[in-house]
Amino acid sequence: MRQLVRIVFNRAFTALAAASVLLMTVALVVILGPIFWRGSSAVIFRGTVEYRAMMLGEFHRGDTGALQAEMQAAHAARAPVYAILDEFRRGIDTGRIEDQINHAYRQLRPQLDNRVAAGRITEEQADALRSDARAVRNAIRAALETTDSAEALAHLDEALSHPARPALTDTVAAGLFSEAQRYRQIAQTVDLGRRDVYLAEFQEATAILRELLGPRPGDPVPLLAEMRYGATRWDRASILLDRLLYDSQWQAIEPGQPLVEARVRRAEVFEGTVMAELFPLMEQELPAMLRPERTFYWRYFIDPSTPGNLFGGVGKEMYGTILLTIVPMVVAFPIGLVCAAYLVECARESLFIRVIRTCINTLAGVPSIVFGLFGLAFFVMWLQPALGLPRDISILAGGLTLAVLVLPILIRASEEAIRSVPPTYKEASLALGAGGLRTFLAVTFPAALPGVLTGVILSMSRAAGETAVVLFTAAVAVRAGFPDGLLDQTLALPVSAYFFATADNLAQKAPHNQYGMVMALVGLVLVLNVAAILVRSRVSRKLRGQ
Amino acid sequence: MNDQTKENPVETTAPAPQRSLSRGIELGGRHRPAVQAGPAEVCCEPIIRSEAFSLYYGPKAGVHAIDLEIYPCSVTAIIGPSGCGKSTFLRSINRMNDLVPNTRAEGVLAVNGTNVYDPRVNLVNLRQQVGMVFQKPNPFPKSIYDNVAFGPRLQGIRRRSALDEVVEQSLRDAALWEEVKDELRKNALALSGGQQQRLCIARALATRPRVLLMDEPCSALDPIATGRIEELIGRLQDTYTIVIVTHNMQQAARVSDRTAFFCMGELVEVGLTRDIFTKPQKKQTEDYITGRFG
Repeated sequence: MRQLVRIVFNRAFTALAAASVLLMTVALVVILGPIFWRGSSAVIFRGTVEYRAMMLGEFHRGDTGALQAEMQAAHAARAPVYAILDEFRRGIDTGRIEDQINHAYRQLRPQLDNRVAAGRITEEQADALRSDARAVRNAIRAALETTDSAEALAHLDEALSHPARPALTDTVAAGLFSEAQRYRQIAQTVDLGRRDVYLAEFQEATAILRELLGPRPGDPVPLLAEMRYGATRWDRASILLDRLLYDSQWQAIEPGQPLVEARVRRAEVFEGTVMAELFPLMEQELPAMLRPERTFYWRYFIDPSTPGNLFGGVGKEMYGTILLTIVPMVVAFPIGLVCAAYLVECARESLFIRVIRTCINTLAGVPSIVFGLFGLAFFVMWLQPALGLPRDISILAGGLTLAVLVLPILIRASEEAIRSVPPTYKEASLALGAGGLRTFLAVTFPAALPGVLTGVILSMSRAAGETAVVLFTAAVAVRAGFPDGLLDQTLALPVSAYFFATADNLAQKAPHNQYGMVMALVGLVLVLNVAAILVRSRVSRKLRGQ
Repeated sequence: MNDQTKENPVETTAPAPQRSLSRGIELGGRHRPAVQAGPAEVCCEPIIRSEAFSLYYGPKAGVHAIDLEIYPCSVTAIIGPSGCGKSTFLRSINRMNDLVPNTRAEGVLAVNGTNVYDPRVNLVNLRQQVGMVFQKPNPFPKSIYDNVAFGPRLQGIRRRSALDEVVEQSLRDAALWEEVKDELRKNALALSGGQQQRLCIARALATRPRVLLMDEPCSALDPIATGRIEELIGRLQDTYTIVIVTHNMQQAARVSDRTAFFCMGELVEVGLTRDIFTKPQKKQTEDYITGRFG
């Protein structure tokens, strides 16, 4: 019976251990899998012709001739869209017709004055023509103002069948009639009562098209880089197309109940107008307009982002994060090692040493925001000015603060590593006449190196991912270029990921960038870890004599 | 204690045969030919002299009032039951007990006429004159070459050819050269246990010591490796003064010229090995070597 219980316990223990290992693995996959899956969309995606135009315009990469040919083809495919827009705008945008008729009426007066001066007509005739033209103009204005089609048509007919029309046709006032004619056609097809709805929907559709296809050819080049190009990625273009095709509206299904969001086809809104043709056209021809191609953008990790962070890569952030990982290691490693060596080799067990040990252990658990505030107050506000350096956040201040942050981790790991070196090594060295320092440098430290490197790995990962400290002491949200030196501010991956998520709708416009940033951070930590692990296994293999 | 000190001169007049005493007192003379002095009468000073030497761990005495003389170019075995202070005494000779906190020495323990517990003594010099081989083979996790060259480098020898020469000579002296001469760059930890122990001996020899302390050098080795170490000790005793602590009485009988029996931190009896093992003066010694006690 006892034998059986023992077997059951043993099995249960094994099963529990295996299950926890499995759980860890699953957790790792569940956490890292989506990050890498979604983050990879920053590097591997279907880039549109706009993307290639952006790369040429902002990064001077690509072939100008090939791009121009491609752009021409794309513009040819886009031309019908602009034609539809222009045509619909004429119908809906009465402001323009009104401008036209006002212009025609104002031009009439100098023309008639010229004719009077030339003696072709008398002044009375001229006055009569002008009052007739005014009547026609007023009729058209009335037609433009009304939202009732029948009334509008009546006003237009009145204008078009004005008795003075033959007399006015050889003057600039003929424009009045041509505009009236055009508007009559529109008024026949378009439900003028819905003009306001049309206008709002039209403006929204135009804005989406602007985002999708970029500024119209011939428009002035926008100042902001992010406004200069259309959808550079096919996934983004698909989302925009969906927004173009469907309008989400809040509709009251039942009175007194909360509104319900409903998707309405925009084509239905424009039913019967020329705009209705636009939507199937966009749906079918979008690939021809944007010409997506599979793109592998490995430079994502080294390219700087464009102002506005919409295009480009995370090069500046990577650079800053790498610097903010190296500086603390360079500062903390010697200090931590010497401190650990002192605690193990030299310090006698006394109350003072016990207090010091407790302090180190406590520091290892202090929240990083505390270190951040400390770094801001001590390094940025006090030490830098005291040394005659600018009183501003800098990589140096951030690196020093991070060094303080990782010091306890380093000391504890190194202490353990040094303590676990077999005392026989030390004995052998001392018996050969070596002093304490020599013994430590030549024998103890090399033997403790794998353990010390474990501490370095942990500290590096901690420093690379640290947000609160960097936020206070080194990082800014926006920066034009790479940092010039250690006294410069910088961008950093974790901080930028935070700013990206919180900055108006940047994360929605460029979700790939958000995930790409996080992936770059995880990847950076992973690469640093793998490198350090390789070094460590090499060192420990050498120590074991294999 | 008094009768023991009286015994000592008697023994020194009757040393084991074939002891070369040509080394004299000068330091580091290692490469002189071993003079076969025949059944020489020992007429020289003891190289290690302990007079009422006591070592305390805190309030507790590790060894108490030891009077012992160790003569050059001989093998002295220290035997005794566990915890009797053999190792403590051995480790006092090159002051390795300093590593243990709160130790205190009384009396005189002189190597070459200098009290090693004199605060002015130069530990580096002392330890280079008095080499030590430990119970467990403890080569550094470095190459064979670097292991042997560790001591010479401490002495400031930097020149490659000089180092090469010292390394080769030390390895030859430790009977390891033929086995490792082609792989001096190999990590020492890849050697077998017996080879590692011989490497440790070579490493100790490389500083050209006068005395070699061996703290149960064979206890972690198999019989064949033990045999080779004992053979090596037999060869080294021509040039070095060897003090060996051992639990194995056969070993003590095989390799040593003189044997000291320690018990409860005190020296019970010291004498020529053949006398100790054939006609011990003390009842305690007899009980121990006949296996009735300890």
